Amino acid sequence: MKKGNDHGKNKYGMVIDIDKCTGCGTCMVACAAENNVSVRADQSDKERTITWMNLYKISNGKEFPHTEVSYFPRPCMHCDHHPPCVSVCVSTATKLDFNTGIVSQIYTRCIGCRYCQAACPYGARYFNWWDVFPQDKGMDRYLTPEVSPRMRGVVEKCTFCHHRRMRAKTLAYAEDRREIEEGEYVTACTEACPAQAITFGDLNNPEHEVSKLIKHPFTFRLLERIGTEPKVYYHSTRDWIRKLGDNFLPGEYTPVVNQTWAEEEWSTKPGRDEF
Amino acid sequence: MKLTRRNFIAAVVGGIAGIQATPLPWKITDDVAIWTQNWPWVPVPPTGEFTEVSSVCNLCPGGCGIAVKKVDERAVKIEGRTDYPVNPGGICPVGMGGLQLLYDESLRFTGPMKRAGLRGAGEFTEISWGEAFDILAGRISNLRKKGTPEAIAAVDGNPEGTTVSVLIKRLMKAMGSPNYVRPLSITDTYRMGNLLMQGTLAPMAYDLENSDYVLSFGCGLLEGWGAPGRVMNAWGMWHDGNPAKRKTRIVQVESRASNTASKADMWVAPKPGTDGALALGLAHVIIKSGQYDSRFVADHSSGFDDWRSLEGTNHIGFKTLVLEKYSPEQVAKITGVNPKTIVSLAKGFANAKAPVAIYGKGKDSLNGSLYEFMAVQSLNALKGSINRSGGVLLPDPIPLSNLPPLEVDAIASEGLKRPRLDQAGTMRYPFTDSLINNFTDAINRNPKSPVDTLLVFSANPFFTLPDGGGFKNALEKVPFIVSFSPYRDETANMADLILPDCTYLEKIDDIVWPTGLQYPLYGLSKPVVEPLYNTRNTGDVVIELSRAIGESVGSGFPWENFEEALQARAKGLFDAGGGLVSYDPDAPAWQRQKAGNGPKPGYKSFDEMWEGIQSGGMWYRPVSSPKSWQGLFNTPSGKFEFCSKLIAQAIEHYSNKISKKAALKNMGLAAIDDEACMAHYQAPKAGADRSVYPLLMLPYEMINLASGWIPSPPFLYKTIFENQLLKDKSFAAINPKTAAKYHLEEGELVVVKSPAGEVEVRINLFEGAMPGIVYLPLGFGHTAYDEFLKGKGVNPNNIVQAGQDPISGYPVWWNTPVKLVKV
Repeated sequence: MKKGNDHGKNKYGMVIDIDKCTGCGTCMVACAAENNVSVRADQSDKERTITWMNLYKISNGKEFPHTEVSYFPRPCMHCDHHPPCVSVCVSTATKLDFNTGIVSQIYTRCIGCRYCQAACPYGARYFNWWDVFPQDKGMDRYLTPEVSPRMRGVVEKCTFCHHRRMRAKTLAYAEDRREIEEGEYVTACTEACPAQAITFGDLNNPEHEVSKLIKHPFTFRLLERIGTEPKVYYHSTRDWIRKLGDNFLPGEYTPVVNQTWAEEEWSTKPGRDEF
Repeated sequence: MKLTRRNFIAAVVGGIAGIQATPLPWKITDDVAIWTQNWPWVPVPPTGEFTEVSSVCNLCPGGCGIAVKKVDERAVKIEGRTDYPVNPGGICPVGMGGLQLLYDESLRFTGPMKRAGLRGAGEFTEISWGEAFDILAGRISNLRKKGTPEAIAAVDGNPEGTTVSVLIKRLMKAMGSPNYVRPLSITDTYRMGNLLMQGTLAPMAYDLENSDYVLSFGCGLLEGWGAPGRVMNAWGMWHDGNPAKRKTRIVQVESRASNTASKADMWVAPKPGTDGALALGLAHVIIKSGQYDSRFVADHSSGFDDWRSLEGTNHIGFKTLVLEKYSPEQVAKITGVNPKTIVSLAKGFANAKAPVAIYGKGKDSLNGSLYEFMAVQSLNALKGSINRSGGVLLPDPIPLSNLPPLEVDAIASEGLKRPRLDQAGTMRYPFTDSLINNFTDAINRNPKSPVDTLLVFSANPFFTLPDGGGFKNALEKVPFIVSFSPYRDETANMADLILPDCTYLEKIDDIVWPTGLQYPLYGLSKPVVEPLYNTRNTGDVVIELSRAIGESVGSGFPWENFEEALQARAKGLFDAGGGLVSYDPDAPAWQRQKAGNGPKPGYKSFDEMWEGIQSGGMWYRPVSSPKSWQGLFNTPSGKFEFCSKLIAQAIEHYSNKISKKAALKNMGLAAIDDEACMAHYQAPKAGADRSVYPLLMLPYEMINLASGWIPSPPFLYKTIFENQLLKDKSFAAINPKTAAKYHLEEGELVVVKSPAGEVEVRINLFEGAMPGIVYLPLGFGHTAYDEFLKGKGVNPNNIVQAGQDPISGYPVWWNTPVKLVKV
């Protein structure tokens, strides 16, 4: 078994700019609409509500009027190095595809043991406790045939909208191309974000915007130090947000100050923290 | 073989090892997975031809472009359009979930109906369209025959200026009733403020994209103000690239750490309702330091300096007023904002190249205060940010044709002479064209409802009005209610007759100038799918109803159908020339084009233009160069008026009728003379004993929850946090210090009591809440619709105790005194 997917062709990933993110939740709704995600009458029980893309609300914890809130939009991280869910799946229902870097979920193989759900450090996996969709309300009329609705008793999660990659490839093939260009395959959340906070592309391709953005000193990942190499990156000029990306002991976090990146001089000054 | 311990272990271990070597466990696991998933009721969405239809979202006045993906006849996904000027690619979460509003059958009326159960129970029996028209036209004809057409009233929630609202107004006039009212929104405040200071009833045109300093007084830029697709796109643009080199700074003035406040470069938190005082404090610093635009002030404004009238009386100007009454220290006392902050804020605004101060209250769906608007607009004038790129633009109104004049019969002209129930436009509310709060009171005050038949269009006043449940009580008194809503909302459930509209994805409709947009835009939505049920476009229904009533009412509506009426108005767009019907994302509409360099309209005849509008869904004029100052301001002085002559005239006019003191009191004014004509701060009346109700309740809006007449798509409840809604309880956000004072803990149940009513909520401790204020989310607490929305949380509107804003008479919904009682 190959160790990583460095030798694979593509490695899709995304960078989410937290400063641009407005916390509106359009990504969540777009994701649910795109992927035929179940809707239930009570969705306030967050452990049982299915949100492939979820918003985590964070706060700087300061007193009024210095309080700030922000959000981490959280899809599946598509961990690149021994994804914890893949390691534990007893029925090979989830695997890391070395050609795309996408961690897949094969519903018909899933036996619903929820081991993967327990293993995921990001809470990105959801179990279908109930049948799909409210029955007899006519709401099955908006289901798209591109994504199969899931049945009761299986785990589901974000797929980086891989059906959109299939669609893009089909279109490319129809035009006698074998490769898809940057922007031809993006996830539904990327496309939907009204503030263009999400950038999606191939991390293996140095020409793609994402592979430039991930080198930026303001770019970080969630729980980076557990070593799962998530392919979802975050970006913020605000120190307190970057600090919440991981569990730092007191004094362990070093703020980013006056670092250079490419030709442009970037610094936190006069960033938001000092305004 | 004898069963020994050794044999037993060998057999068990051997057995286990043996099973591992066979494919049996894997086969069984796999089979179990498959068997347990073959539920016959798991839907298999049928496939078919994939197509895409471009249209415009009509769920709010923002009018974002949408592309609807279809599989054969089914719409399967809504996406933002990249070829639409308002929102280059993005839409808001409500628009994103729009298909649920189309397909969730239990949210909708499937055909015309009449009430079968008790009012509010939501039980109806289906009838035919013919029968529905007979019932309604019969009732209206009877009232007209009796000579009381004014007993017909309409509540119209369609945005001002849209063709359907023009037709409804026309129908009311033709029938002979002056009682046409609309739920208020921020655009009503904008229009009045514009009239008084700039002399036109135009919408506000904020050139946000070109500004380098956006000072937002209460606009929920990220909560859904304006066209959300446009504002959030601008937000992304403002934060693009190197943060050290960012062009635009955003400052949010608001009492709560909302998304906008948190994400802005700076957040200033004055007490609710004191935004105007803060703006005047800024004006003080700017005037005192001499950093104002003296050229604009001298050439294009009036009322800045003290002046002497022809009769020889001395008047004070804006400068004197502000210097005397609004020093940072004085303003700090009113607003609670540190004087140093006021000074630094003023400097930031004064030093910017293209600053703009914008005014709002959360989303645009509730009204603001006239004097607050005037204070903020005075700031723009001080910096010359009017008719300048990056400031407030003054584009011509959309050149839609007027419909042919209406000839009313004798019954109607008698009816139209009767006074409006809401007193709008009387000397007491001289600049107001509709006051729904007074309308409600008029019904509630009288023992017998003066309204016999109430028509409700695109509105759910039962739920959306901040009136402490006043409209709900009024509905109970009205003998006959007709709802044109496509949805089973609270107001429709009270109705006796339902003539359901199509949803926005099933009909043609227009959008006239999205709120806050800096260039004129006329949008046209089209049927994305055929109507699913037996519903009809209200535009068509109004025309048909006029015919069913007959007589002179019918002859006022010469159009075959709604589309013809739309075309009749759109004629003016063609005659005016120069409008574009397609959009190139590389030439954003807000980018100033050099004269003669911009894109050209490609049509030659009206029919060609109309075809273009229908397929593209738009007619717009990109931002042009600043306009000539000649005749720009249509005020009595011909200039921008810090001191509004119209207000002075109105007060004088009213004072001649009754005493001056009484006139001022009736108009809600505490200030007198010149001060009353200028932006000033007036503390709202407490309206209750503050020792009994020591806290204030402030409703707040979220972009991911619809709080207007459109229901929230069920998808949106995925985005609500569990400290905003948990099962059937919504949360009040309060500061931990306030909570400690009342010994309240996170999640605890409390009753929020106001003089108008009480609601039960859970407590959410939020550092970003101003101490002393209870923040309740708007959009929860439906008693109608289906299990997705019904019975979740409470509606803060039910406990709002609103005073009246001076001059405009609009409800002051941000000043409800409350107390918290533990359950």
